[in-house]
Amino acid sequence: MTDFDVISPGNVDELLLEIENNQSNNFRFGAGYTDLLLELRKQSGPKINVINLSNLNDPDFSSIVKSEINIRIGSLVTACEIVKNNDINELFPVLHKAANTLASKQIRQVATVGGNICTASPAGDIATALVALEAVCEILSTKNEIRVVPISEFMLGVRKTALKKNEILRSVVIPLRFFASLRMTNDRIISDFIKIGTRKSMECAVVSLAYHILQDDEDKIRYAGIAIGSSAPTIKFTKNAYEFLIGKRIKELNDDDIIEFAKKVLEYASPISDIRGSEWYRKQVLFNISKSIL
Amino acid sequence: MTKDFNIIGKPTPKIDANIRVTGEAQFGHDIQLPNMLYGAILRTKEPVADIISIDTSKAKQLDGVRCVITADDVDVNNISYRRDHPILKKGQVNCIRDEIAAVAATSKEIAQKALELIEVEYKVREGIFDPFEAIKEDAPQINHFIDGKYPNKNIAEHFHYEHGNLDEEKAKSKFVVSHRFTLPRVTHCCMATSNMTADYSKTDGRLTLYSTTQVPFLYQRDIARALKMEPSKIRIIQVVIGGGFGSKLDMYPYEPICALLSMKCGQPVQLIFSREEEFIASPTRQTMIYDVTAGADENGGFTFRDVKATLDNGAYTSWGATTPFVMMQTFSSLYQCPACRFDSTSVYTNNVYAGSFRGYGNPQATFALERTIDMLADEIGMSKSEIRLKNANFKGEVTKQGLHFITCGHKEALEIVIEKVKESTHPLIPSQEGKHKRYKKGVGYASMLHVGGGAKIYPSDGCGTTLKIDPFGYLTIITGSSEIGQGSETVLAMIASEELGIDISKIKVINTDTDIKPWDVGVHASRTSFVAGNSVLGAVKKLKEKISPKAAQLLKTDIDDLVYENGVIKSIKKSESIELDKVVRAIHFKEPGDLCIDTYFFEPSSEFADKEFKGNVSGAYAFASQSVEVEVDTYTGNVNVLDIHVAQDVGKVLNPLGLAGQIEGGVVMGMGYALLEELVVDKGMILNPNFHNYKLPTSMDVPRIHFYPIETEDSLGPYGAKGVGEAPLIPTAAAIANAVSDAIGVQIDSLPVTPEKVLRALSGNVKF
Ligand SMILES: Cc1cc2nc3c(=O)[nH]c(=O)nc-3n(C[C@H](O)[C@H](O)[C@H](O)COP(=O)(O)OP(=O)(O)OC[C@H]3O[C@@H](n4cnc5c(N)ncnc54)[C@H](O)[C@@H]3O)c2cc1C
Repeated sequence: MTDFDVISPGNVDELLLEIENNQSNNFRFGAGYTDLLLELRKQSGPKINVINLSNLNDPDFSSIVKSEINIRIGSLVTACEIVKNNDINELFPVLHKAANTLASKQIRQVATVGGNICTASPAGDIATALVALEAVCEILSTKNEIRVVPISEFMLGVRKTALKKNEILRSVVIPLRFFASLRMTNDRIISDFIKIGTRKSMECAVVSLAYHILQDDEDKIRYAGIAIGSSAPTIKFTKNAYEFLIGKRIKELNDDDIIEFAKKVLEYASPISDIRGSEWYRKQVLFNISKSIL
Repeated sequence: MTKDFNIIGKPTPKIDANIRVTGEAQFGHDIQLPNMLYGAILRTKEPVADIISIDTSKAKQLDGVRCVITADDVDVNNISYRRDHPILKKGQVNCIRDEIAAVAATSKEIAQKALELIEVEYKVREGIFDPFEAIKEDAPQINHFIDGKYPNKNIAEHFHYEHGNLDEEKAKSKFVVSHRFTLPRVTHCCMATSNMTADYSKTDGRLTLYSTTQVPFLYQRDIARALKMEPSKIRIIQVVIGGGFGSKLDMYPYEPICALLSMKCGQPVQLIFSREEEFIASPTRQTMIYDVTAGADENGGFTFRDVKATLDNGAYTSWGATTPFVMMQTFSSLYQCPACRFDSTSVYTNNVYAGSFRGYGNPQATFALERTIDMLADEIGMSKSEIRLKNANFKGEVTKQGLHFITCGHKEALEIVIEKVKESTHPLIPSQEGKHKRYKKGVGYASMLHVGGGAKIYPSDGCGTTLKIDPFGYLTIITGSSEIGQGSETVLAMIASEELGIDISKIKVINTDTDIKPWDVGVHASRTSFVAGNSVLGAVKKLKEKISPKAAQLLKTDIDDLVYENGVIKSIKKSESIELDKVVRAIHFKEPGDLCIDTYFFEPSSEFADKEFKGNVSGAYAFASQSVEVEVDTYTGNVNVLDIHVAQDVGKVLNPLGLAGQIEGGVVMGMGYALLEELVVDKGMILNPNFHNYKLPTSMDVPRIHFYPIETEDSLGPYGAKGVGEAPLIPTAAAIANAVSDAIGVQIDSLPVTPEKVLRALSGNVKF
């Protein structure tokens, strides 16, 4: 186990100062610790600093705020808080469901959105939903400046992100898109998260499929955010599947269309075989569940 | 028997429930002794290798390290019933569990650090991980400590059983099926990891072990033999156990190692496994391959069973190798069977070895048999329920193996679960079916037969009880039997309460100290309520012989007129009563003066099996049937268990709450075996030593469990009760597998039935 010291900034000024002070040290951020502690336990090496975010008192980091054009979710918001949020439940069922299938109720109390994204695991449930929603990451630097990066460009590979050493993920923003202009109601949204595993809880996705499809008043598909988890080294936004659906009506799709759609999703899958499932199984299931959503 | 009971048959919370839920219970992990050191074991990094050298010098120099031991530092005997297992390995290692060295230090961290400083040089050898390879004549010998009992150098154990005329019955068979079944390695997953605190006194040469053993008296003897000590100098104190399930039936190397560390240091030493170590180094359920051929006549009557079992023994022998003793009962006697041949061979390999696990081989055997019965039914074109009802066991049956079913609820159990599953099954509603007919439903049945009144395998299958009523009317039960979470303390207290009219809150059960408690063979074979319960009844009878004359004298009536209830002894004729404690004081403090204390030893009337394994080895036999409805998702291969109906012949319900706990826990454990659990090994390495990838069912996975107890009131059991603990697990995997086969129309012949296996079977690209 890697030994560590803990530093607990109480506000953003202190936080930025600590990041600044640690630029020549080995340091990590800690939020809910459900990934970090396991990682540190497996490693051995010189002592590091952990900048503990759980005492940070700042609304930008820890709240969910809805505006006319978007929903902003602080990186310290927990899975449980997402599950309880009515706006998210109503507007982005895919995110609600993804947060609600993460690990178990106990873990959901502490696991954060920021941790899920910054771990950058291909199996991250919340992250997969956010990729389907084409969320944008808001990154704060020690210069107290924000830069924005689309989430699919933020996660680069397991535990690799676009963050620089003097940066921290502050929040993610999901655009409301057509909700504002089309005044969409629930029956216009087809939005869900399918997680495949053997158990009903405490399961890391063998594959997952996040989808958020919006239809206009004429039943035409106007948006089709689809992302796949545990199917490639990173979570993939399946752009070709998106384009295939845009402008079409679901009830007019025939069996061949549906198969073509599923094939387009599968184009992005390059899964590995491991103890939890073979490449064959992952592809087969992804194909089957892709068909099932239309 | 229509006697009204005060407490027997009434839902009674466990008497140790409070300390368990409040955290007051002292598990092995909680023990703190003055000057206690912490032990840790260095295990091999290579499953199969020669050890060129071990250098402990750096570890010994580390501050806080009190001692480091290797095989060269100790004078001990091999362990295991085959004596084929060195406590510390020397010269070579043969499986990934192998213990090479151990340290004791002033903290856990220092002990771990010391392990890292021990340098071991290995020369890797090629291992054999497949029993069919290991049994070949030209295979190298794996275990070098065996006695040459068998001509083949890699055979650890062999059983042969037969009855009836196989050839004749084969000739009679209109239908015959042959199939191979493969059973996985699963492990107990006790919440509390393996632990031991050893306290050796150099002053008086006595060793106290705070142990989780479930067989304290056999353990005392085994430890003594291993350490070359006198058994009576070893005192076993049984700590509160965080899950046993059979895993604590044998003694494993870590236990004498912990004792050795304490003996070397003259200080107490505590050794606790990490979770990863628990997965790697604690025993598993026996894995095996069955080749089964079975037949039926034109009416679906069973004719014969011909079974070959090949067991992967691992590198050393533990109780897993003896599980065929139980399996053969299932093949010989579950459902009537005119002829049976059963051969089992346990073969040494370089894999991890198996111990005992709830059911003791029976879940494996029941899976193979009940799958075969479904295949036979398909062949005959008979319904799966009808074929079972036709061949079910019956009351009074003496099977060809010599098992005598004085009572037998088999047929009734089958009838109940067949009827109940009919009521609970609902066809798929169209919306669930979807446009692609995504979901498929299926129903499966399985039964089981298991000993329910102890099992005569050791020279005595008995249990001693001492009862003591103090002058204030409280009762102490000192029982040889052990509580391992199954609720036996509570049942014993209920029995004493029923008989003596003492409220259960005034009853204490002492059962954890070999220096105090009378002998008992241990917790196994679902025997405790039956054997220890009868022992309590015997002790009560003796104690009443002391109390009743005094009470009769004080009440001026006859002994026959007395009733014990609500803390008093009552004369029915005179409607007068006297407090029990008053009578006790009258005996104790008045001339001639005596204590209200007595001891009784109960030995069940069961017999030993003869050389051919025939004989009535148990005082009673338990039967159960289960029916299961599953829904299979043909898109993902996931199996959703909807309802499980459990009908079990329990003889008599003693404590409905404790019984429900055993049933539900057993069924969920069986479901894990059926669908989720497998310790995955590759070339001797364990690939999933964690709960992340070893899939234990969670509370979210628990299906609807419906339980229907059957009370056959066995004449030999306490109030007619039989053993219940293992039974609910035994048929579950078989019933679930049968249901999945029914749903998807593909024969399932291995466990666990993972989504991937189901999907492969459905896509037809690979045989299941
Ligand atoms: C038993 C168990 C089951 C699990 N099951 C699931 C599951 O089903 N689905 C799933 O998706 N995940 C699962 N996880 C993983 C984990 O719970 C999630 O990824 C969780 O969201 C991580 O959040 P955290 O707050 O605990 O992160 P932490 O462990 O605190 O941090 C994770 C990583 O992110 C970094 N980090 C955290 N916050 C920030 C920030 N604001 N800016 C920059 N870097 C940051 C940390 O330095 C660290 O590298 C499971 C974990 C466990 C232990």
